[in-house]
Amino acid sequence: MSDTPALLVKQLTVNYDKVPVLWDIHFSIPAGNTVGVIGPNGAGKSTLLKAILQMIDPLSGKVEFFGLPFKKARARIAYVPQRSSVDWDFPITTLEVVMMGLYGRLGLFAWCGSKEKKEALNALDMVGMSSFADRQISQLSGGQQQRVFIARALLQDADLYFMDEPFAGVDMATEQSIMQLLRDLKAKGKTLFIVHHDLNTVEAYFDWVIMLNTSLVACGPVKEVWTELALSETYGRGSFVLDEAVKLSLRRTSGFK
Amino acid sequence: MSYSLLDFFTDPVLRAPTLGSIFMCISSSLVGVIVVIRKRSLLGEALSHASYPGIALGVTLLAAFFTPSSDGFALAVLGCAFISSLLGMLLIDLLQKRFRVKDDAALCFVLSSFFGLGVLIASRIQTTHALWYKQVQAFLYGQTATMRDIHILIYAALLVFTCVTLGLLYREIQILTFDRSFGQSIGINSKFVETAVLLLTVLAIVIGIRSVGVVMMAGMLIAPALASRQLTHTLKHMFIVSGVIGAISGFCGNYFSVMIPFYLKAEKLSLPTGPMILLTASFLCLLALLFAPQRGLITRMLRVLKFKRNCQLENILKALWKEEKKEGVLLQEVASSQNLSSFKTWLRMRKLLSKGWLSIENHRFILSDKGEKKAREVVRLHRLWELYLVHLGHCKDKVHASAEEMEHVLTPELEKQLTDFLRNPMHDPHDQPIPHKEGKE
Repeated sequence: MSDTPALLVKQLTVNYDKVPVLWDIHFSIPAGNTVGVIGPNGAGKSTLLKAILQMIDPLSGKVEFFGLPFKKARARIAYVPQRSSVDWDFPITTLEVVMMGLYGRLGLFAWCGSKEKKEALNALDMVGMSSFADRQISQLSGGQQQRVFIARALLQDADLYFMDEPFAGVDMATEQSIMQLLRDLKAKGKTLFIVHHDLNTVEAYFDWVIMLNTSLVACGPVKEVWTELALSETYGRGSFVLDEAVKLSLRRTSGFK
Repeated sequence: MSYSLLDFFTDPVLRAPTLGSIFMCISSSLVGVIVVIRKRSLLGEALSHASYPGIALGVTLLAAFFTPSSDGFALAVLGCAFISSLLGMLLIDLLQKRFRVKDDAALCFVLSSFFGLGVLIASRIQTTHALWYKQVQAFLYGQTATMRDIHILIYAALLVFTCVTLGLLYREIQILTFDRSFGQSIGINSKFVETAVLLLTVLAIVIGIRSVGVVMMAGMLIAPALASRQLTHTLKHMFIVSGVIGAISGFCGNYFSVMIPFYLKAEKLSLPTGPMILLTASFLCLLALLFAPQRGLITRMLRVLKFKRNCQLENILKALWKEEKKEGVLLQEVASSQNLSSFKTWLRMRKLLSKGWLSIENHRFILSDKGEKKAREVVRLHRLWELYLVHLGHCKDKVHASAEEMEHVLTPELEKQLTDFLRNPMHDPHDQPIPHKEGKE
């Protein structure tokens, strides 16, 4: 494997209404790692993901994927949004959701025949959901919904996976089976970038960790950076002042007293 | 005069309004699907009202130069309506983004202010230019009777345009509406798709106001889409069903407005087409809301009743099994123990007899082998659930009520999971034996 990092983030700053949500983030991730993004609520974890994937415009900064800009690397990237970010009452079947994973590769106008359908069913089978293919998504449980999302990402057949809290609101058994799938992906040399909230499992799940609280607290192999000091810096009282200042600044800059 | 169904498509006077309305209703029903799944139903209402000042102003300005009856005039007025509606849309956007007005407030503000402006212009010309005023009024409540063959072509062309655009953008719309951020991550240009959808919405509204009018247009967007949402569970089918309901409404509106006065022998009774179209669509929507096989209110109520009856049946079986009376029980005894009226008890017993769960001897009901098996299953679920709750840390005196409910709900899969989780238990928390499945005594 070459020395080009799978993900390189340079001086990334994201503002919402002139208030920094992410401030001067700089890190690089070597390929083939499972990376956990850790930080308290409002630390900008999801924002980091969205800024990296160009869904929100950063104020400044540059992101490279395998040394390439986003547009050129898009086909090698898969994204799993937060489960709660979508409308699960939408009129769509499980299989149709999974099929979305194909369009990035094949194009939006590609004809999806039996071969593609088989691929999608195969992905569903990998997450143990093939019997739910024709089910309407509103009938799925939380863990099943998450597995459908994972199946869609598997179908994208990417090299770099971004996942926003894939274990949120998921039962233990599902968490374990998802984790096994992620380990399989890692074994194939894929890079996984996962926003995570359960501090207890960090050491078991990840080999690289990014600790975030608006600014970057630490980034590196879990064994090196996962320390009490870094944790207290990430979750410590220091951030309360920042939160307060952010709120104040938001009011001032939008003209409220 | 009496017309056959076919006459509505061939008669030189009837065919233009009928076909025109059908095409227009299909396009608004299709666009309505997007509006409904994006949960932006009020947008249709706001945009249709926002077109009114455009119509009033357009008629006033254009009538000074053209004869109001020419085809070009009608199209030009629709153009003005389109621009006016578009301005309304931009204002909504501006209010939300710049002035941070909430979505619903911005929509209501644009709806009422634009409509008010339209009313003002219309009332100005009411007395001075009565002919122009009539033209404006035609758009307020819709008027199909004056449509000519050229309108069939115009509306057909607009329908084809709508269908082609929707067909091309189908996957984008599906992905972006369901999961916007995923759509962006695979490279869908969300701004382009959203602008296209909004323009299509404005277009569908402007097409529609000629038939059903500014005031009722939003209903034509929403009603067929809502009905089809009740009946389908994929977006593709939702578009198809909505389009069909739209077409039916468009036809029936015209049919009823001509034929009802005829049937009632009241030739002077005038039933305007626009409201008839909307009433048909609303009626179909109401039917779907009430009777849709999965989501309909009545169908769900029937299912609740059936479930309740099933609970009563199972409770009776359970009681008979527990009493273990070889000589059987009387109807009255069951009624008092189950707290049911004797008539209801009689009905339930008849059902149990017909299922073969009971037999009857000398007016006494006796549990059959089949019934006993069923009763044991219910009791098993009840006691498994009690044990499970105690396992979770609940007090054993308080688990009975929950088990009374769960015994009727638990599926065989869940039962298996419970059995495995509790390691195939023999006794419930109250030291009662948990009956095993048949053959596993």
